Amino acid sequence: MRVRSFLLLFILGLTGWGVLRAQRPFKAYRGQEYEDYPLPEDWKRAAEFTRARLRYPSFLVVHPPVRDGFDRWTIDYPPSDRHLLQGIRRLTRIDTRSVEQVVDLDYEEDRDDVYNWPFMYAVEVGYWNLTDRQAAQLRDFLLRGGFFMCDDFHGSVEWANFTASMKRVFPDREIVDLDNKDPIFHVIYDLDDRYQVPGLQYVYTHSRFEYDGFQAKWRGIYDDKGRLMVVICHNMDLGDAWEHSDNPVYPEPFAALAYRIAVNYVVYDLTH
Amino acid sequence: MFEFFFKYPAAVFSRGTLVLLGTWPVWSLIAAIVLAAAGLWFWVHRNASGSARVNSLRSVAVWLLQTLMASLLLLMLWHPALSVATLRPQQNIVAVVVDDSASMAQADEAAGATRRAAATQVLNSGLLNALKDKFQVRLYRLTDRLDRFEKFETLTSSAPATHIGEGLKQVVADAASLPIGAVILASDGADNSGGVDLETVAEFRRQRIPIHTIGFGREKAAHDVEIGDVVVPARALPDSRLAAQVSFHQQGFKGQKAKLMLREGKKILAQKEVTFKDDGAEQSEAVPFNAGAAAVHAIEIALDPLPGEDNVKNNALTRIVNVDARKPRILYMEGEPRWEFKFLRRAVEEDSTIDLVTILRTTQNKIYRQGIANPDELKDGFPTKVEELFAFEGLIIGSVDAPYLTPGQQTLIKDFVDRRGGGVLFLGGKDALADGGWKQSADVDLIPTVLPDRKDTFLRAGAMVELTAAGRDSLITRIEEDPAKNTERWKKLPYIMNFQDPGQPKPGATVLVDALPMTGGRIPLLITQNYGRGRTALFATGGSWRWQMLQPVADKSHEMFYQQLLRWLVADTPRRVITSTPKQVISDDSHASLRAEIRDRTYLPASDATAEAHVLGPEGLAETVQMRPDPIEQGVYTADYTTPKPGSYLVEVVATRGTEELGRDTITFRREDGVAENFHTEQNRELLEKLASETGGRYYKPEEAQKLGKDISYSEAGITVRETRDLWDMPIVFLVLLMLRSGEWLLRRKWGVI
Repeated sequence: MRVRSFLLLFILGLTGWGVLRAQRPFKAYRGQEYEDYPLPEDWKRAAEFTRARLRYPSFLVVHPPVRDGFDRWTIDYPPSDRHLLQGIRRLTRIDTRSVEQVVDLDYEEDRDDVYNWPFMYAVEVGYWNLTDRQAAQLRDFLLRGGFFMCDDFHGSVEWANFTASMKRVFPDREIVDLDNKDPIFHVIYDLDDRYQVPGLQYVYTHSRFEYDGFQAKWRGIYDDKGRLMVVICHNMDLGDAWEHSDNPVYPEPFAALAYRIAVNYVVYDLTH
Repeated sequence: MFEFFFKYPAAVFSRGTLVLLGTWPVWSLIAAIVLAAAGLWFWVHRNASGSARVNSLRSVAVWLLQTLMASLLLLMLWHPALSVATLRPQQNIVAVVVDDSASMAQADEAAGATRRAAATQVLNSGLLNALKDKFQVRLYRLTDRLDRFEKFETLTSSAPATHIGEGLKQVVADAASLPIGAVILASDGADNSGGVDLETVAEFRRQRIPIHTIGFGREKAAHDVEIGDVVVPARALPDSRLAAQVSFHQQGFKGQKAKLMLREGKKILAQKEVTFKDDGAEQSEAVPFNAGAAAVHAIEIALDPLPGEDNVKNNALTRIVNVDARKPRILYMEGEPRWEFKFLRRAVEEDSTIDLVTILRTTQNKIYRQGIANPDELKDGFPTKVEELFAFEGLIIGSVDAPYLTPGQQTLIKDFVDRRGGGVLFLGGKDALADGGWKQSADVDLIPTVLPDRKDTFLRAGAMVELTAAGRDSLITRIEEDPAKNTERWKKLPYIMNFQDPGQPKPGATVLVDALPMTGGRIPLLITQNYGRGRTALFATGGSWRWQMLQPVADKSHEMFYQQLLRWLVADTPRRVITSTPKQVISDDSHASLRAEIRDRTYLPASDATAEAHVLGPEGLAETVQMRPDPIEQGVYTADYTTPKPGSYLVEVVATRGTEELGRDTITFRREDGVAENFHTEQNRELLEKLASETGGRYYKPEEAQKLGKDISYSEAGITVRETRDLWDMPIVFLVLLMLRSGEWLLRRKWGVI
């Protein structure tokens, strides 16, 4: 009887430990641009939705000769995330957490954690360099019902880097240009008239594009049932637009479109 | 033996009344007995007072014996007799009804004789002659009707059915014009029409015609397995998971195993190994199976024959399942974009039999509609009109606060369940249930729990889930075929990260799944109940989506759970016209009862409708039957239809009101001949005994049947004469007198006072 009781307690304890650790708690990281960024007051409040930011391994040199690939996943982090979450909370009925969640693919401590956060965002994916195991898990994440949005990469070189990893995720699925009629552009706002959203450099250069990324490309990958599971914002910098939406020098129309795009994408994910 | 002591058969005593034929009044007998007792008391005490050997107890015993003897002698002086009605010789008819159905061909009588042979032998071994000496005898052959016959050689025991009630009804009808004094029924009691109705028995009692029954056949088979009944839903949605509830019993195979199979033609739908319990014990097993594609499915439920089984024809039954091609529409109202909404939609998208229409409050002033039939559908949000809401068969209410719906809309939801017969599923959420103010809403009765009084019932915390005892049996929660594996599978489902305290389940509600919060305790998570014509369920979480995200792509637990829950929600939602028949397979019977429940566009009973049943039968048969309104139930129409031949029948009931068609519904049933007599083949002694006792007759075993020749005379039916039979000269009287006297003598001798 004692052995049985002990075993029961052990199993219950193990289950409890498993559940409690299954969803990783929030953790703040040092970013390339921000250190010790203050936490909002309600950062501990649990909520229905938050945006997961993918921490990915990157190429160290994409635009030689500069070794420019260090910690590219942290670009705009964390104000971009928190501004956006605040905006989604205000503009929709989505119960959002005030802080983002940083996630890893093929995370050695808990490989399943990524599945707790079905909306995943990655910035500067022109630098990413997924391992085969990471690509496989991203594919699994998407096929289970997850959603992936990437942004802030420009020109043909970064596109090639991006697709190299994405092809390992979905070797057989095409990346397609999104039609204006797609529900993702109408789920909340009608976004037939979209324009290129530049980063903060626009304030200084008045150039909307970077490298040879002259035109904004709204692309995606569909699943077998015609639902978008990957949305690709190429040749634009929505991340900067969210990050600098409280910056008086950054033009409001760019920030406004960036928010509307994000709101549509998030609501699309939560409805499809 | 009885007759030796009592001079007359027992029937004389049971039917006769005691009379005193002496000219002196009864009170004088009582007075004489009292005087004799007093005199004896005086005499005994006077004699005993002088003797030391006779104490008071002994004198009382002597007095008692002498008083009893004196009383008996005095009673005889008053000339006791029995007054009994007897059938007047040669003026009455005795109806001898011989069962000639197929079950009488069973060779389970002595020396391997058939039941028919045994009956013939009993009747021809003097009983019929004895009857013919006193009465006219009419021989009847009983099958599914009653016919007269003359010679026993004409009996074949090949008729496919026995309708004892129908046969007796005809006998009692004949008694109106014929002096039928008694009925003898020689049968195994294996009736296929559901027994003898009370009206027929009452008529026999009113006319005082006794039915004497002679039972044939073994009362218990030595080695047999029989499927007693199978219950399957008459209608189902395509590819639904159904359960056949199979009842069976056996004799002689206790502890053995057999395979229980569900087949459609040669295709095996499901099978299960069963172990037989005690002999004669009724067993029941649920066998889950898939309903298959939209069509009429004739499913055979069979237990594999066992070696040495006496009768293997009672090992299988057929049932019909009408799988409708309809695609029920379910409306899902959600108050906030959330993961449960997305993953519920994805789960149902994989179910081609359900059409999910959703309204989602995306922003404070915007709604987003999906699955709508046309751009105008639900453009103003949740329906406000009966016709609009009642077009759906099911409703899901997510994290929506009750005040978002007007009181009119809330009442409409209640009517949707109560009157329309729809199903409503309430989901947990931050604006759902108690937190959303539903306790104060008009729909509080629909929720299968008593909601808590507080408003902080929704928690974002971890919990595991576990099936309850009811959940282990339910098809809603069956994600693994094997019940034990299913229970384990539920325990291993990924955690949920939110749940809501739903309060206590209401009486009559069924808890299928419990949540086990990591903080401890246990709360009901999935609760169902029936309400009015419909049904409601509460799934007190918005966090089951992790069952999809945290399990492999190929795992279908989440999809199956929601698909089964939603199919349960709408599978029994009635349409405006619902046709039914009590038996989908009529075994060896031609009579089919049709019933149609007809409602108008707002689902109120339509009492002024016209209902026609268009029947298509075998060999190109096409008939139209007018249905009649039921005098008691509003909106219910019935018709009796006689199937001319065996085969499959399709009935379409069309309901109209004036020129407006209210709706139509089809149902199928099948008539099978040559089946019923293979079931319940053991002698139904209970029926035969009851029939005899209810009508004043008696049940006889074949070896006792010869007594009928004498017993049958005592009847109050037919042409009778009242006779008195003296009792004073019964041998028992003299025997008792002798015993009383010798008893006294033996006592005296023992006490030494002779």
